[in-house]
Amino acid sequence: MTTADDTQLAMQGTIEALTTGDGSEPVVVNLGPQHPSTHGVFRLKVTLDGEIVQDAEMRIGYLHRSMEKLAEERTYTQNIPFTDRIDYLAAMSNNLAYCLAAEELLGIEVPPRAQAIRVMFAELQRVASHAMANGTFINDCGAWHTPLFYMFRDRERVLDMFEMTCGARLTTNYMRIGGVAFDLPDELLPTLESFLADMPDRIADYEALLMENEILHARARGVGVISPEMAINSSLSGPVLRATGVPWDLRKANPYCGYENYEFDVPVGEQGDCFDRFLVRMAEVKESLKILRQVVDTLPDGPWLADVPLHARPEPGEAYARVESPRGELGFYLVSDGGPAPYRFHCRPPSLINLTALKEMSVGGTLADAIVTLGSIDIVVGEIDR
Amino acid sequence: MTATYDATAAMEIVNAHAPGAACVDDGVLFLEPERLVESVQSLRDSGESDLVFLCNLTAVDQELHFEVVYHLQSLDLNHILQIKARVTDREDPAVPSLTGLFYGAHLQEREVYDLFGIRFEGHPDLRRMFLWEGFPGYPLRKDFLQMPGQVRAGLPGFPHESEENAWPVPGSVPQRPMHPNDPQPEGDLVVAEESEESS
Repeated sequence: MTTADDTQLAMQGTIEALTTGDGSEPVVVNLGPQHPSTHGVFRLKVTLDGEIVQDAEMRIGYLHRSMEKLAEERTYTQNIPFTDRIDYLAAMSNNLAYCLAAEELLGIEVPPRAQAIRVMFAELQRVASHAMANGTFINDCGAWHTPLFYMFRDRERVLDMFEMTCGARLTTNYMRIGGVAFDLPDELLPTLESFLADMPDRIADYEALLMENEILHARARGVGVISPEMAINSSLSGPVLRATGVPWDLRKANPYCGYENYEFDVPVGEQGDCFDRFLVRMAEVKESLKILRQVVDTLPDGPWLADVPLHARPEPGEAYARVESPRGELGFYLVSDGGPAPYRFHCRPPSLINLTALKEMSVGGTLADAIVTLGSIDIVVGEIDR
Repeated sequence: MTATYDATAAMEIVNAHAPGAACVDDGVLFLEPERLVESVQSLRDSGESDLVFLCNLTAVDQELHFEVVYHLQSLDLNHILQIKARVTDREDPAVPSLTGLFYGAHLQEREVYDLFGIRFEGHPDLRRMFLWEGFPGYPLRKDFLQMPGQVRAGLPGFPHESEENAWPVPGSVPQRPMHPNDPQPEGDLVVAEESEESS
């Protein structure tokens, strides 16, 4: 018969076991598939000892749409809308990377005006994507939605510009093999001018709000640290790599679409932690505005689409083209067998490969830090699963 | 601008460490799968090639064999090299894993295993990634869900481009085996034949 004393004794033992760790077992916690911190359908299986992460294993595939197989049955032009859906927060960058790969296969020269328009929209997309990344990252740190909606306000203006140019806000389908689908509408340049005029003040506001923010420092400084050697060995790219101090940016290292004609810096971090990733993204927005200013000032006239046959049928061969997307190195590897559709269509997804190091970054920290780390990598699940 | 690293120079570096493990065919460096790890290690650690960054890892089904394709990049010298390894065994294709050299190969090799069924020997956690364990077949293989009548998936050609590239006429291609509940074509003689046999 259990007496009150026995119960009290047993409870005391449990509390002791929990506090000292004696006899306790690791607890497995599933973050997701539906969890606010995962930004999509993504599951992180975390093994916890108390609050300390012992193991982090990701389970993906919930959004797998078999893009690479589908693309083998569609022509080169018909595949452009697929690339929007791969990374739906940076559709322009994905359009661009795919078109560059197809142009390399077909040997097509792109007119100068089309190249400038491509740079313009790739940089606008970077502003929009980094706004989203930083907003949700601060959200994960615990600032409940206020900075997120400031960031969304800017992103909204970029999406309005996309809409007036190509009619769509997210799945733009704007780039074409050999250029872009439409010329700029008359109202775009005045809108872009007012956007460029407003943004420096906005960014100054955000910096005043966030840079010295004690909570953000407490949550993100020294969290999710990764060394430059490990980052290179893990094939990390984009802001996650640059936050470790490696100045690797494909716009500088392998300029495409005339990026060599524009002046900009490659911001790098020092410590490789979550806060540095946030700082790199904030600084990159400023550099993107700098590039946009130069594009608007030097926008050439002329055709915006090269004379590409509708039935483009490349010679047998292969091409690997990559761009610096907001998330990192986004590459497309296309193999042609001379037919109207790609024989093989492969996307090198920066979100997936940046996740390789998630375990390294989060093991040994607390569960709350793992969520901040995941937010700082800036994943897009559509790109992870494809 | 990122230069393309000369395949012949890379072959010499590999062959100095693993004689005969590399050959150049049509400007592409092919490595022997059995000695892949030491070959790639010599390219990574040599000061001349310095290929420390694994950009991309994927595979191509060439019908008779698989090609595992690697893109390696040097960050300091800014050049890129494409490497291929040919796997001829279609029943149980396998290549050594590069996870010991590049931590970044982890998820990319799992993806190729999931979609092509190529085993990466020595990978610490080789499981399916997008699809579940027990999923039948490997979708990115060209013979996945092969259709009857030697019909291949993919585009036959552009519509109206030429006679031989015309779209197949509906009905001329057996789409799937006939099901008993399907509407039978006109003038079906199955019942009549049975009645003749019985009488």
